[in-house]
Amino acid sequence: MIKAIEAIALVKNFGVQRAVNNISFHVESGETFAILGENGAGKSTTMRMIAGRSPLTSGILKVDGLSIGTKGRHIRLILGVVPQENNLDPDLNVRENLLVYSKYFRIQKFEAEKRCDALLDFIKLTDKKDEKVEHLSGGMKRRLIIARALLHRPKILLLDEPTTGLDPNVRQEIWEKLEELRREENLTIVISTHYMDEAEKLARRLIVMSRGKIVIEGFPRQIIEERVKKFALEIREVELSIKPQNIKNVLFQKRGLTHLYFAETPDELTALMNYYGTRQMLLRPSNLEDVFLQMTDFDSSSIG
Amino acid sequence: MTLSILKIDLIDAKAVWQRNFLVYRRLWKTELIAPIIEPIFTFFAFGFGVGSLVAAEVQGMSYLSFVGAGVLAFTVLMRTIFEMTYSAYFRMVYQSTYDAILATPINAESLAAGEILWAVSKGIIDCLFILPLVVIFGSATSIFTPLAVLPLTLGCIVLGSCSLGLTGRIFDIGKFNVFFAFFFSTIFLCGAWFPIELLPGWLQIIAYTLPTTAVIDLTRACLNENFASRHIYETIYLLAASLFFTEWALRSIRERMVI
Repeated sequence: MIKAIEAIALVKNFGVQRAVNNISFHVESGETFAILGENGAGKSTTMRMIAGRSPLTSGILKVDGLSIGTKGRHIRLILGVVPQENNLDPDLNVRENLLVYSKYFRIQKFEAEKRCDALLDFIKLTDKKDEKVEHLSGGMKRRLIIARALLHRPKILLLDEPTTGLDPNVRQEIWEKLEELRREENLTIVISTHYMDEAEKLARRLIVMSRGKIVIEGFPRQIIEERVKKFALEIREVELSIKPQNIKNVLFQKRGLTHLYFAETPDELTALMNYYGTRQMLLRPSNLEDVFLQMTDFDSSSIG
Repeated sequence: MTLSILKIDLIDAKAVWQRNFLVYRRLWKTELIAPIIEPIFTFFAFGFGVGSLVAAEVQGMSYLSFVGAGVLAFTVLMRTIFEMTYSAYFRMVYQSTYDAILATPINAESLAAGEILWAVSKGIIDCLFILPLVVIFGSATSIFTPLAVLPLTLGCIVLGSCSLGLTGRIFDIGKFNVFFAFFFSTIFLCGAWFPIELLPGWLQIIAYTLPTTAVIDLTRACLNENFASRHIYETIYLLAASLFFTEWALRSIRERMVI
């Protein structure tokens, strides 16, 4: 079966600076795939290369089996792009934003109007269709950009940091819409984010990038299980004078004023709760953030 | 090496043009006020004000007739240049309209071509409104007057694409001031307000190299029916400059947007 995206030994240089350093990965058709990493890790550059906006320095990049170097136009016809920045057209109203965009894909007027109305209904903006874009809230703008990316019924949806700067309710709303699209339209979704919870919630598989390279690749749960213990105890606002506990098979990490312990069972951690008394505590399953911070946190130390 | 002009898809360029036209249609009343008011006052100033001091005929015509081509060309070219500098820069940088368009099958060359076509159209729309004024003020006496649209179109392509090429290369909107200072200076050299022959020899050479000079001379020929063989060379010069600057603009936008 043709892979939705296939990248082999991808390199991107900007002058002497190497933004993407020899990365290889693939995205299966119909899956949600996340590219994680801190700012400047090379996520956006990778996304721009997939979208045909940044020529490769070297390597092979195929989208739906087509080579990005020679079939850019065909590829952009099957890609829906949701950029990091809002680039809705402020000179046009909500519905016009969709209608004008449909012209870029050469969708016939009647069909375009039908799709616009259906998409406005899908993103619950029908009653705002004549509003100026600048009058919409941040969440509404995001939903409209997603609707715009779906106008031409793409096979693959590329989302670059789709929920950055949005409040928690709106993030949940966007996630639900994306999940609905994947489930019902069988869309392949590629999402770049620096939010670990977002990747964990949405992605079937992911890669973590750092300084232009892939440092982790796999299924979120599997990554967590392989790299950190299953449970975490988080104790916040701990005074500097309090010394961490040294318990067998329990891993310790310090993040600022927060003490973190990782163990295979919750029981191993509950014993520690008495030690910290009435301080604010949270016993929870380990998450991707724990993996990520352990990899990048220079302050961490194992005493277990 | 393939010419960028050959990468233009006209249907895509038309879609970009339509986007701009839709915005223009909404704002047409305010969009048209400036290009009508400006030439009226320029006619008052140069035609009647300065003109009343000029007793002699200029190139065999009254000063008011002479100056009409300058007023018309200046307003139309100015309009195109504004569209391809400040307006284009706003769309490219502040509104990210170019980014949104380039996420569709439209390539950078067709996008730039659509923008240039739009700027030329805007100039020509203005031209159609100013031409009757030129006739009313008595500056156009020839039945060939409507043909003035042709050299003005070429002028709009040359200066519009030159402006867009520049827009693709600047990262600070303030730098347009230098470009405009240059443009406003040249407009006094290119035969709009007085014949170039009155300038010192070395300035005449500079004046003749400016595309604006050819545009104004050809426009004047249409308004006053005084065609000469030099007009053929001027037309060829403008055609060549159109191709050169359009190619430059397309490359400039690609280099800016696809990195």
